[in-house]
Amino acid sequence: MKNFQLGEFEEIVLLTVGILNKEAYSVGIKDEIESRLSRTVSMGALHTALLRLEDKGYLKSYSGESTEDRAGRPRRYFEITALGKKAMLYAKETREQLWKAIPKMVLNSKIVGSWAVASRQ
Amino acid sequence: MEKERNTPPNLFLKFFRWYCNPRLQDYIEGDLLEVYERRVNASGKRMADFRFILDVLLLCRPGIIKSENKSQPFYNSGMFKNNFKIAIRNLWKNKSSTVINVFGLTTGITSCLLIALFIGNEASFDQFQPRKEHIARVVMEYGFEGSTDKVSGTFTSTKVAPALSRTFPEVIKGVRMTDASMIVELNHEPITESKFLFADSSFFDVFYYDMVEGNAATALDGFDKVVLTESMAKKYFPQGDAVGKELLIGENKDPYEVTGVIRDYPVASQIQFDFIASFCSLRVNQEESWFEANYTTYLLLTGVDAFASLKAKLDPFMENEMKGTGASIRFSLEPFKDVHLYSPHSDLVPNTSIRYLYILGGIALLIIVIVCFTYINLSTAKSIERAREVGIRKVSGAMRGQLFWQFIGESLVLCTLSVLVSFVLASALLPAFSLLIDKNLQLSSLLTPSFILGVVAVTLLVSLIAGGYPALVLSNLQPARVLKGVFKNTQSAKVLQQSLTVFQFAITVFLIIATVVIQSQLHFIQNRKLGYDRDHIISMRVGGDAKYDVITTIKNELKTNTHIVDVTRCANSPVNISSGYSMRLPSMQGNEMISTNANPADEDYVSTTGLELVAGTNFSQNHISINESKEWDYKEFQFILNETAVKRLGFQSNEEAIGQAMELNRPGKIVGVMKDFNFQSLRNNIEPLVLFTATWGSRVLIKIKGDDMEGTLSFIEGKWKQLLPNRPFEYSFLDQEYERMYKTEQQLGQVMNLFAGIAIVLAGLGLFGLSSYMIQQRVKEISIRKVLGASLWSLLNLLSGNFVRLVLLSIVLAIVPAYLLMKQWLDGFVYRINLDAWIFIAAGLFTLVIAVITIGIHGMRAAVNNPVTGLRSE
Repeated sequence: MKNFQLGEFEEIVLLTVGILNKEAYSVGIKDEIESRLSRTVSMGALHTALLRLEDKGYLKSYSGESTEDRAGRPRRYFEITALGKKAMLYAKETREQLWKAIPKMVLNSKIVGSWAVASRQ
Repeated sequence: MEKERNTPPNLFLKFFRWYCNPRLQDYIEGDLLEVYERRVNASGKRMADFRFILDVLLLCRPGIIKSENKSQPFYNSGMFKNNFKIAIRNLWKNKSSTVINVFGLTTGITSCLLIALFIGNEASFDQFQPRKEHIARVVMEYGFEGSTDKVSGTFTSTKVAPALSRTFPEVIKGVRMTDASMIVELNHEPITESKFLFADSSFFDVFYYDMVEGNAATALDGFDKVVLTESMAKKYFPQGDAVGKELLIGENKDPYEVTGVIRDYPVASQIQFDFIASFCSLRVNQEESWFEANYTTYLLLTGVDAFASLKAKLDPFMENEMKGTGASIRFSLEPFKDVHLYSPHSDLVPNTSIRYLYILGGIALLIIVIVCFTYINLSTAKSIERAREVGIRKVSGAMRGQLFWQFIGESLVLCTLSVLVSFVLASALLPAFSLLIDKNLQLSSLLTPSFILGVVAVTLLVSLIAGGYPALVLSNLQPARVLKGVFKNTQSAKVLQQSLTVFQFAITVFLIIATVVIQSQLHFIQNRKLGYDRDHIISMRVGGDAKYDVITTIKNELKTNTHIVDVTRCANSPVNISSGYSMRLPSMQGNEMISTNANPADEDYVSTTGLELVAGTNFSQNHISINESKEWDYKEFQFILNETAVKRLGFQSNEEAIGQAMELNRPGKIVGVMKDFNFQSLRNNIEPLVLFTATWGSRVLIKIKGDDMEGTLSFIEGKWKQLLPNRPFEYSFLDQEYERMYKTEQQLGQVMNLFAGIAIVLAGLGLFGLSSYMIQQRVKEISIRKVLGASLWSLLNLLSGNFVRLVLLSIVLAIVPAYLLMKQWLDGFVYRINLDAWIFIAAGLFTLVIAVITIGIHGMRAAVNNPVTGLRSE
């Protein structure tokens, strides 16, 4: 089967583009990731990830309207391509397979353990 | 209401714009500004500025920084391949202009390669000596009181090196040396080795040579030691192990011990030797006198500044030394590394004047200029054909820069092609060229990295210069005008073509004039009546210590042959007498002396060399043989003076001098006066000359009839082997010696012939190509004129008139610089031709004829063509 290359941050970006659906442009994506995952995203990292995803053919972009708060600069909107969807699905399936392969005991003890720590406080 | 915008730090915004890939710039800048605006509202301007700067810096990463490839997507390899293909196709399509250009470029570049090799060879002289900066050569200048004549040269006495190194702390070491032709015995046969040097043991301290065998520090210590070069060691000791063996050297077969073998050194060296023997082996006085200056002195100084400080001390020192002697001697120092190119005094190796190198370099440059101009002219003329292509390319979206580089690329292809051919050609021609300029040029120096780098640089430069203008013109064309079909050569292109043609031809005319002048001066020198006879005279060395009676026997024996006219023993042939003596009359006061050239000769000298006596008599044989038997202190000489010497001594007439007493080395009597003749190069005035009856002349001159050359020579050889068995039988002819004196001029003449010829051909080629294109454009016009009844003559006149005017203009332009420069060159000769008008007229006419013929070929073809063929196609 074809091997889809998708890094962790790339996957997040791809998913966020999906979430925003038609409204995905750089600052929007950045805000979304920052609010949902409570982590800061640097502009540089985001743009390189977007570029790389576009190069791989998982995203396509088009120029949007220019707005006043951007001093007349156009927005660039991103959309997931068919290949991009396949890559996302592939990533999800491989994760699930891996999840399934983990013995129950390992997961349970860990969750219980952490819950126990939390409940003691 | 206009909302006041907050602006982020300008410097960083600019920085961002500079590095950012233009494809992304707008979007990312938009993002930056949007986020910035938001942050200003949320957390104030300062915080927002800081975060902005941080963002900009974090954005500076590979995916976002612009890359050459992405910003100029048209310059991909596909386009290059296409351009290359188009270039090749175009060269193939316009075969005639390609041939002209390649031929021109190849000839030009080959000439330049050869000249560059020559210049490189001369410039590399002595560079291999590690202490070259600190070595000085001593030049001596002397004169006598009461006379303003000063003589200077690299001759110094044996005293100079030890005295100076003892007195001045600036001098570390001094080396005295002298070169000689020595007879060395090989397999029991005497062989003359002409590169035999005698030098002090400090020689290897001052100069560096790679000692293969033996110890450099002690090799030249003591009497009769000799060091060989590796090739000489192979010659004399083929079985190896030269060190410790003996060589028999000199007429008396003195045994010399071989104490070392050095590796063969670079040819480009002012000190040339195959053998180097210890200086004391000469058994000359060590430091008795400042005179008897027969040796060359080199000094190793403490540093570069020592030149100046020593110079300041030398003059007072020598003034003190020479006080009360009636003579003055001054020493000056020449930097060792400048000797070969800048010194007027040649010593062991003839120097090359830097002027000669400039002349050659200038010629190389002129040739390249001619070639470039030809290329420019042809390609601007051709631009009409390419115009449509340029139009289409522009319409299809080609940018100006792309077209420009395309055409530069085309000239680069052509240049590279020519350079490759030139390399092959140059290496093939190198032996012949080496012979022509009489230098030992190495093929290997053609392939040194620096030379190749230079050639690559020149190739690029030439293709930029030659291709630059046509590329500019072509890339500047307006597609709309070109494609409508109303395109003609622009006015500025025409002006440029014309001025280039004028310039080209001016260079050609200049070179022709220079060649004609140099050739006529050479012809003048070779055919001048010098006042003596130099045909059919054989010159042979006998050695200064050859016994008087042995030589007398040889003379008498030789004279028995009817093919031999006369034989004389002397020191110098009349071709070149330059030996410093001083003469005085008894009536002169104190120490007053007059410097003169002098030549020991016998009674047959005048008749053998065809000199003319204008007063008095010849030497008498009787006097010479009686004088010979006397001790030195009782000897008296007879003198024959030339007219200049008579005048210099203050006699009113030639007759008055006859019978007068005079002193030169020994007292004596003036017996005759000879007519002035040129006994030195024609560059110099005639100086005083005295022939005197000493018998230490080292040469025999034999005048032969010349009808049975071989028989006469074998007769001489027979007698020679019988009477002088220790002397190799080696001879030269006087006229060859004479030619050798003007070698530089002859080389210059030949080189000028060659390159002027090349220049003429190249300029002619350029005109040929240019006129062919010009006429092609006017085919229709000519046809219509013909139909309307124009005659052949009037058509030819119309077509070539313009070119003829240009060539005339260039002749006028060339004459003035040519006149000035050649006058300067001729001023170096005392005896010289006049710069007559005919030279300039002839050169001009010659150029004009070549130009008219070149244009005429095309003009004729166009004019006799059937007008129908010209008009039919539409």
